[in-house]
Amino acid sequence: MPSEPSGEVVDLPSATRAIDIALDELELVYAFIFARVGNRADAEDLTQQVAMKAFPRLRPSAPASSIRGYLFATARSVLGAFWSTRLGLSQAELHEDLALAIPQGPPSDESVERAQRILAELSDNYRRVLELRFLHGYSLKEVAAEMRSTVGAIKVMQLRALRAAAKVDPDG
Amino acid sequence: MGKKPENRVERIVNDLLHGRRLKLRAGDAEEKEAITAAARFAAARQGPQRMSPAFRRRLAQTLESAPKETWLTRRAAMVAGLGVAAAALAGGIVGRALEPAGSPAPSATSSPVLPKNGRWTDVGALTDFSEGQGKLVRAGGVRAFVFRQGEAVTAVSSMCSHLPCELWWDRGPSVLQCPCHPVSFTRDGKPSSPSYTLPALNEVKARVSAEGRVEVLGT
Repeated sequence: MPSEPSGEVVDLPSATRAIDIALDELELVYAFIFARVGNRADAEDLTQQVAMKAFPRLRPSAPASSIRGYLFATARSVLGAFWSTRLGLSQAELHEDLALAIPQGPPSDESVERAQRILAELSDNYRRVLELRFLHGYSLKEVAAEMRSTVGAIKVMQLRALRAAAKVDPDG
Repeated sequence: MGKKPENRVERIVNDLLHGRRLKLRAGDAEEKEAITAAARFAAARQGPQRMSPAFRRRLAQTLESAPKETWLTRRAAMVAGLGVAAAALAGGIVGRALEPAGSPAPSATSSPVLPKNGRWTDVGALTDFSEGQGKLVRAGGVRAFVFRQGEAVTAVSSMCSHLPCELWWDRGPSVLQCPCHPVSFTRDGKPSSPSYTLPALNEVKARVSAEGRVEVLGT
């Protein structure tokens, strides 16, 4: 688990465009966080936390890449704390791939492609239930009808499919 | 019912698919892997995300209120010769961001620029302005695009209502373009990009004198 950056001071380019640059970098941070928490309210709260933690340590005149690196180090720390607090676990117990590469450009379809790679590794039934539920937005009842099953059985299958999906290494 | 793991995870999945926060309870940690996988699938369903304009403004406020010795201050911007940008930060972004929480989304209208002790500034003869074309003028601390319509003129602030960047007049599509992000505004100040919900540009008071001179209310 990455630790929170400490003591370090990262310079910002001249103050003139600093807020604009910072906001553009935070767009990447927001996309990174959203791809992991799956909802806007939590993604906004966590991005705000990153901004508040990181900016007191940013100073005029350094390359944007340094700012991005620092923001993402902070983002990983904030995300780790989020999951450990919500799940009541120590950060060491968390299985979160927070060490992913820092995005180099605008928000991409990385999370969508990653999900597709994971789905491709699952059994037909598991893939189908997750595709219908998450990608097509079906209700449990609709999934049950589509798969000629019961709501109770689909609920169990959904849990097992998610557990199986968590074990897939999409980058392997 | 809620104690069964499939029910607990379904509750979380259902929240995620309805755009709600992750509300985790005691016992959910046992399914941490399924829950984090569900959050990722919910994110993938919505594709790559960008911050909403309202949230971006709140963040701008956070940055503006960061410790002054390390962050952009209004004075620092002034010293750097960016009085216009600083004024926009102080009066625009921050002003809106300080609105009470839960205030409605930005409306299509914005208040006019009415400087305290403002004065009318001559910015040129009416004949210097081409029909329907935007012309950037300066009236003290107020910069505006003036548009001529026959014998009358209208004006809007030259500062983008989202980021503190000065707009430019794009003759082709006849819109004011922001150099900082992909938004544009019509000559009456309304945002022309449907994908962005932005406030309109601030109106700037302008008039034509009896002598055929264009005057703008500035500082």
